[in-house]
Amino acid sequence: DGHGASSSSPSSSFSRLFNPTADHLALRETVRSFVEREVEPQALSHNRAETFNVPLFRKFGSGNGGLGILGLTVPEEYGGTGLRDASAVSIVHEELSYSDPALCLSYLAHSILLANNLAVNGSREQLATFLPGVCDGSKIGGMCMSEPNAGTDVLGMRTRAVYDPARDGYVLNGTKMWITNGTITGNETGDIFLVYARTGDDRGDITQFVVEGGMGGFAAGQKIGDKLGMRASPTAELVFEDVFVPAGTHVVGEVNGATSRAGTHVVGEVNGATSCMMRNLEIERVALAAMAVGIARRALDEMIAYAASRPAFGRPNLFNFGQIQRHIGESYSEYMAGKCYLYGFANGLDLSRSGNGLDADGVKLYCARMAKDVSDRAIQVMGGYGYVGEYTVERLWRDSKLLEIGGGTNESHHKNMSRDLLRLSGNKLE
Amino acid sequence: MKILVPIKRVIDYAIKIRVDPTKGAQGVQLSNVKMSMNPFCEIAIEEAIRLKEKTTAEVVAVSIGPKQCTETLRTALAMGADRGIHIETKADVRGDYIDMQPWGIATLLKGVVEREGGVDLVLLGKQSIDSDCGQTGTLLAGLLNAPQATFASKVDRGDDGSFTVERETDSGTEVIKLKPSAMPAIITCDLRLNTPRYPTMPNIMKAKKKPVQTISLEDMVKELGLNLDEVLTPKNEVIEVYEPPPRKEGEMVGDVMELLAKLKEKGLVA
Repeated sequence: DGHGASSSSPSSSFSRLFNPTADHLALRETVRSFVEREVEPQALSHNRAETFNVPLFRKFGSGNGGLGILGLTVPEEYGGTGLRDASAVSIVHEELSYSDPALCLSYLAHSILLANNLAVNGSREQLATFLPGVCDGSKIGGMCMSEPNAGTDVLGMRTRAVYDPARDGYVLNGTKMWITNGTITGNETGDIFLVYARTGDDRGDITQFVVEGGMGGFAAGQKIGDKLGMRASPTAELVFEDVFVPAGTHVVGEVNGATSRAGTHVVGEVNGATSCMMRNLEIERVALAAMAVGIARRALDEMIAYAASRPAFGRPNLFNFGQIQRHIGESYSEYMAGKCYLYGFANGLDLSRSGNGLDADGVKLYCARMAKDVSDRAIQVMGGYGYVGEYTVERLWRDSKLLEIGGGTNESHHKNMSRDLLRLSGNKLE
Repeated sequence: MKILVPIKRVIDYAIKIRVDPTKGAQGVQLSNVKMSMNPFCEIAIEEAIRLKEKTTAEVVAVSIGPKQCTETLRTALAMGADRGIHIETKADVRGDYIDMQPWGIATLLKGVVEREGGVDLVLLGKQSIDSDCGQTGTLLAGLLNAPQATFASKVDRGDDGSFTVERETDSGTEVIKLKPSAMPAIITCDLRLNTPRYPTMPNIMKAKKKPVQTISLEDMVKELGLNLDEVLTPKNEVIEVYEPPPRKEGEMVGDVMELLAKLKEKGLVA
């Protein structure tokens, strides 16, 4: 069949890079077998119907003998798995995206944007109150940052939170947009969100709040339908009309002239949310890069299997043709480059600190484009079949495009990376 | 109840096995190839856990093989087994019939059963997907003089300590009752017995705290008072391992008459 006995299996040094410890290998195998059995069979139909598979999503939780990955990075005492490492995060996102990138996106919003952020930035009381339901799958939620008129320009957000001393809480007004898991059924909001809102006049005066489904004035504006990809993941516009969020009277300090209160629904310091943001953006980018790697791996498997079994022009398969060889060779090396960048970076990333932005931006920038290119070549290799839903690769192509926009547009990565490289410009690269 | 489940680490069922002639007539590509728990052994572990969930039981997983078998045992523990025993062989000892064969394995397992004491049930996969012998369970029962039922598609335990086993045969379903005995019941598990659970993350983390005893093959053989030769020297010699010849392309014929003519020509039809 054209290749030698030993040339195609990865060396053990790659295995160690992609699975740094035995725990990581066990994690990858368990997620992979769950995905094979339960995620793969439902991916196509939910993509077609633009529906969110809530029962399956809840199986990611730790309740009812579920997989227990919703609180992957959350400490065990709050119901999580306690795997505070970016390698574990990468493994789960890669494996889920092999079959259903859309479901994985909802998983990312819930486990990283909500659960991890809260676990890193919240008080003990907040973790004990909110995380158990988030980890066991009974509550589904996400994070609200973007608005209809502010995406990349994050600090341009206009949702306001004004402190009301009579009730000791904040009143939120504004609109958030493109919120993954913003709605679950299409009518109600999701159960719980971390919401960024402006609490002062300086550009950086942003505070992070916990907003729960059912709070007065908090509603789903519209479910965003007709998306190009990630169709099985529910996206919504969320509206805040005089939403009251209790603060508590526990004063922790002063930031920018404002008294800082840590309370039930205020996460971290008032006017101090930009550091919450920074700490979480890096792991979000790693997770998105890992999704890209999973998409690319699937696209490669599909194009290789097709090319190996399709006869043409009297030859037994397409591997005899140069242009197909090029598609496959380029895809494999780009995939491996992205995967090695991902795990090389993730394996050393400390989730409780920030300051690693350059490679977080870099790995997502590279892997997102790579996944799109590899999926595109897969469609091309598969010809007419590649163009049809049943053959998977067209869905991968559509899903991959989101990764160049969500969690940071390509342009935002260019901007950040250039800023970081300029700052380092006194020194040559290592 | 104490349940012993021998499990085997084999080349993953989804991998295409490649013969490696550079390693001799029996050479198979084994390095950097994905290994997993034998699927029938997984079914055996699952059945043991289900029995444990219905009554109270201790489930002990035992594996014979190189040091990576601890990974296989950890999977069993993550599925719910209580502890593991790893009988460690040297790295180059092959478990796929070339070195270790059912007679040796069964001899060793008999010793393990006696060393443990109080074993009520031994659940095994009906066969391993590398050697495909299907002999270890039955040989073990013979050596122990124990009641056995093979290819189980359903297992129930009676309050009196008996086991009722359903087996699928070509002529229908057979129901066998294994009477309670001084010896453990030996049951081998078939595909349709159950669908094994995937180890959940909380259970994988819990499994790290469960005990696994590692003992070298040589030490175990000595402890059991066995002969290393009995266990390790194969009774049957594998002469050659080769890949099946590639399927030849068929011939297209135009109609039934042409088909009959071709068949007659090839002497396949009178």
